Formats: sequence, C-alpha cells, structure tokens
Amino acid sequence: MSNPAILRHSEDSMPAIAEAGSVRAVTPPATPPSFGTLALRWYRLNQSRLRATAIGLISLLAFLLVWHLLTTYRVVFFVRFTNVPSPLAVYASFTKAMHDPKFLMHILLSCRRIFIGFSLAAIIGVPLGLIMGRFKLVHEVIFPVAEVLRPIPAIAWVPMAIMLWPTNEQSIVFITFLGSFFPILVNTLHGMSLVDPVLVRAAQCLGARERSIFREVYFPASLPHIFTGLTVGMGVAWVSLIAAEMISGQYGIGYFTWEAYSLVQYADIALGMIAIGVLGLGSSLLIRGAGQLVMPWRST
Amino acid sequence: MSEMPANTSKGHIEVKNFSLDYETIEGSVQAVTDTQIHVKPGEFVSIVGPSGCGKSTLLNAVAGFLKPTTGTVTVDGERVNGPSAERGMVFQQYSLFPWKTVRENVEFGLKMRGMPRSQRERAARTLLGLAGLEAFEKHYPERLSGGMKQRVGIVRALATGPKVLLLDEPFGALDAQTRVIMQQILTNMWQRLKISVLFVTHDIDEAIFLSDRVYCMTARPGSIKAEIPIPLERPRQQSMMMSSEFLALRRGLMSLIREESLKAMGGEINDMGMQGLNIELHGHSLADVI
Repeated sequence: MSNPAILRHSEDSMPAIAEAGSVRAVTPPATPPSFGTLALRWYRLNQSRLRATAIGLISLLAFLLVWHLLTTYRVVFFVRFTNVPSPLAVYASFTKAMHDPKFLMHILLSCRRIFIGFSLAAIIGVPLGLIMGRFKLVHEVIFPVAEVLRPIPAIAWVPMAIMLWPTNEQSIVFITFLGSFFPILVNTLHGMSLVDPVLVRAAQCLGARERSIFREVYFPASLPHIFTGLTVGMGVAWVSLIAAEMISGQYGIGYFTWEAYSLVQYADIALGMIAIGVLGLGSSLLIRGAGQLVMPWRST
Repeated sequence: MSEMPANTSKGHIEVKNFSLDYETIEGSVQAVTDTQIHVKPGEFVSIVGPSGCGKSTLLNAVAGFLKPTTGTVTVDGERVNGPSAERGMVFQQYSLFPWKTVRENVEFGLKMRGMPRSQRERAARTLLGLAGLEAFEKHYPERLSGGMKQRVGIVRALATGPKVLLLDEPFGALDAQTRVIMQQILTNMWQRLKISVLFVTHDIDEAIFLSDRVYCMTARPGSIKAEIPIPLERPRQQSMMMSSEFLALRRGLMSLIREESLKAMGGEINDMGMQGLNIELHGHSLADVI
C-alpha cells in the first residue's frame, strides 16, 4: 500500500477541507503500471520472504540428505542409526499406506478425537475465561480449582480417565480436551485482564451498557489472546492425544506408531511420526487462518 | 446536518462545592477540593493547571467516571451519576476501537442507541465528510496518523449529538503543526454545533486560542485559582497569537501557573531539604563519635 503518502497529503490539505466541508479526492496515478513493473515491485516487496522460503527449502533438503547418508551408512556414533529407516524406505511405506484403508482410518480417528476434544475445550474454555474475566466472584470461585488442576499433565489423567469414562474412546477424547482446555482458559483470562480500560470508558461515553461493552469491547479486545490460547491448546491437544493413544488406544495415529514398533516395522514408525507432525502443523495453520478471518484489523 | 441536532439552549454544566478524595494505604488523599466551575450552553471553557493538579480528575467526574466526595455535578440541572452518551468524551490516547473501521467507530454511539444500520451508515458518512475523512471510512485506526485518529475520536464523540463535549488533553500526543490544525478543526466544529465544551489542557496557548473562558487550577489538592475570560473576537485566526492582547493573556496565565508549579515543586524541594537535614544530623552524630 502507498498509504503513508496518501495520509500525509490529506493531512496537509485539512484546514481547507474542514472549512469547505468537502473532501479533495486523492487522485490515482493516471496510467496503470505495466505487468513488468508490477512484477518487479512485487518481487522487491516480497524479497525477504522469497529469500526465507528458498533457504527453508534448501535446509529441508539438507536435512533429508543427512538423514539419507546416516541411514545408508548405518552410522554408529553415540546414537545408533543401524535400525533407523532411510527416507526412501519411509517414502515406500508412505505410498503403501496411502492405499491402505487402515492407515487412513487411523488418521481420521485421530483427527476426529482432536476435533471433538479441542472443540469442547474451546466451547467451554473461551466463554468461561470471558465470564471469569468480567465477574470477580466467578473468578474467585473457579480460579483456585483451575490453578490446582492446571499443572497436572494430561497424560497423568489417563488412569483416572479410564475410570471416569465408560469407553476407551471417550477417555481419549477427554484427555485431548484436558490438554487444550487450560491453555485456552488461561490465555482468554489473560486477554481479558489486558483490555484497555480507556476503551471501556469510551464505549460507556457512547451509551454502551454492560452487554454491549462485553460484546463490542471485551470480546474483540481479547480475541488475539484467545487465538494464542487456541494455537497453544491445539499443540497440547496433539501431545496429549498421541500419548493417550499410545497407552490405551486401539486405533489412531499414535497407536499406529507404537504398533509399528511392536511389529518391527521400522519404516512405519517414522511414517507415523511424520504424519503426526504434518497433522499438527496443518491444524495450527487452520487456527491461524481462522484468526486472520476473525481479526481482519490485525492483518496487513 | 440533520444528524446532529444543535443544542443551543442545552448543555449547562455546573460543578458546585466539589471535592474528590481517593483512598490509599496511608489514608485518603485530596485530589480536588472546594471547586466551583460552570459552562454556559454553547460556551467553550478550558481548564489549565500544573501537572497533577486534578484537572483530569475534575473532567472525569463531569463525564461520570468518578463520584465526587462532596458537592454536585449537574448538566442542565440533572445530577450526573455515571457515564452517558449525553456527555461525549475525547481522550488523549484516541481510544478508537482497533477492531472497528473508521466508520464503524463513528457509528458506535448510534448503534448503541439502536439506530438501524443503513441510517447510521449515512449519518457516519456525513460526519466523516465534514472532518475530511470520507476516503478513510473503511480503514482500521491503526493505519491512520495521530491527527486523523483524533479527528475520528472527535467525530465519534459528536455523532450521538451530545449536550456537552469533554476533551482530556486531546492534542497532547500530537506534533506542533498537527496540533494547530486540530485546534482549527475543533473550533470549526464547535461553532457549527454550538455545543458546550469543557477542555482540559496544560498548553496555555491552546487554552487561550480556543476558549471563551479559562479556569486556572492550583497545585494539588486542586482548586480554582483564577477564572480568566478571553475577550478575543471570533472567528479566531492563527495570526491573533501574536497580538498584544493574546500575549498579555498569555503572560498573565503563565505567571499564575508558574506560581503553582513552583508551589508543587516547592513541596519536593522542602522534602529534600529535610533529607539534607537528616544527613547533617547523621554527620553530626558521626562527628560526635570521632
């Protein structure tokens, strides 16, 4: 955007504008620039980003190369690469898995658990955080309990979850829920505590009542922190899910990875790990995208 | 202009026997004491004073954010208890809603009043046009310059047609040139709307240039030290700031404020003197030991 220039121009012509009561139009350049100049400009503006992408690709390729070398030569130097599958072996088992409905089912099941557990955490955590941030009594009642439960890692809940819930599936979803719930709650609370009181006063001076202030000021002002909570919560949800699946699952990508180890299918271990990484990355990208949609004022 | 009803006969602010204390661990501290001020309908009144004298406290009480410890604040005879859209406020920190576009910010007060969307959009556009901001209605505040932000702030406060406009050092964060332009814009709007204005500033030139009357406050606890009518004719021009009349007013106000600033500083200087005394005593006892 060529905005700064426009802003300054208009600032200078202000007194005239205010007195005439009309706006002098900011005239656009007479002829649209050619494709060549546009491309060149785009390149200049995005130079650093292009550079970062290029270097990122090179570094990923270098990682694959090192992995390949370490495994083909079965390097043993403190760490043993003797049984570690090579990238090509993993790729082979990936193509095989793509045609295996069982592998896809593992992935789908894990995604479903994340979806349910995480959604529940968001649906409960965000409103609870907003209410706790606004009403002192609710905060005073709930906060101590939350603070005691918060440091317990979700994995430590596995035995308790198995006792609490009738089915294995439910207890795994519960673990996923717990993992994401506290980051979401805590960040929402944090966002509420940082709302600029002057904005609240400004709203009051414009005739806003409690409910409108909540909807028009507190909620949007907390959104950036809510989304931080959702991003962190999504990460912890995957950590908790995989742990729970490895311990007590019969399906799911975490179970798949653990099972590969038991069945001595080493290539599948790496495949499972990479799948988990990709799924985690994908879900946090989804949240980031949602954040940009919901908070258009934050992006430029 | 139909969106902004001119309140020629309304907007009479009266602050009587006003004092405001706030509680600290050491007991209650007087911020403002024994203060009477008033703003007649359509009048432009400024409050100046040394920093920390409680001028913003007084303004916040008129806005309804603070309750007086004693005394009353009334607007058109009605007692102020809590903020309301009848008293528009402009803040030094602009305080625009970052998640709303310029137009949505201006529409906010009308939305709160329940005005239908299309109607308030039209009203907001008209107002933004008056302030030369039409082209920026879809921008988010973050992208605007300080002067533009504050223009939006003023327009937003005026959109609901308040009886009085309260401004708390609105141009304090702006550079000198923008400040002058903003003063001009504010005067223009005020003259069109005939709205009562209570304006808090620490800038003496600004107070004289804008006001019909200036209240000068004492150092903390603040009270009214002097009330100075500004007989300069309207409309005011930038060139008037060099006139002998203006300069005389400026000298007068300057000396009043300097006196109070020195008084405020004097307190600290005395304290330091006491500390010096302690040190001397200490030295004395040391000397005794030797």
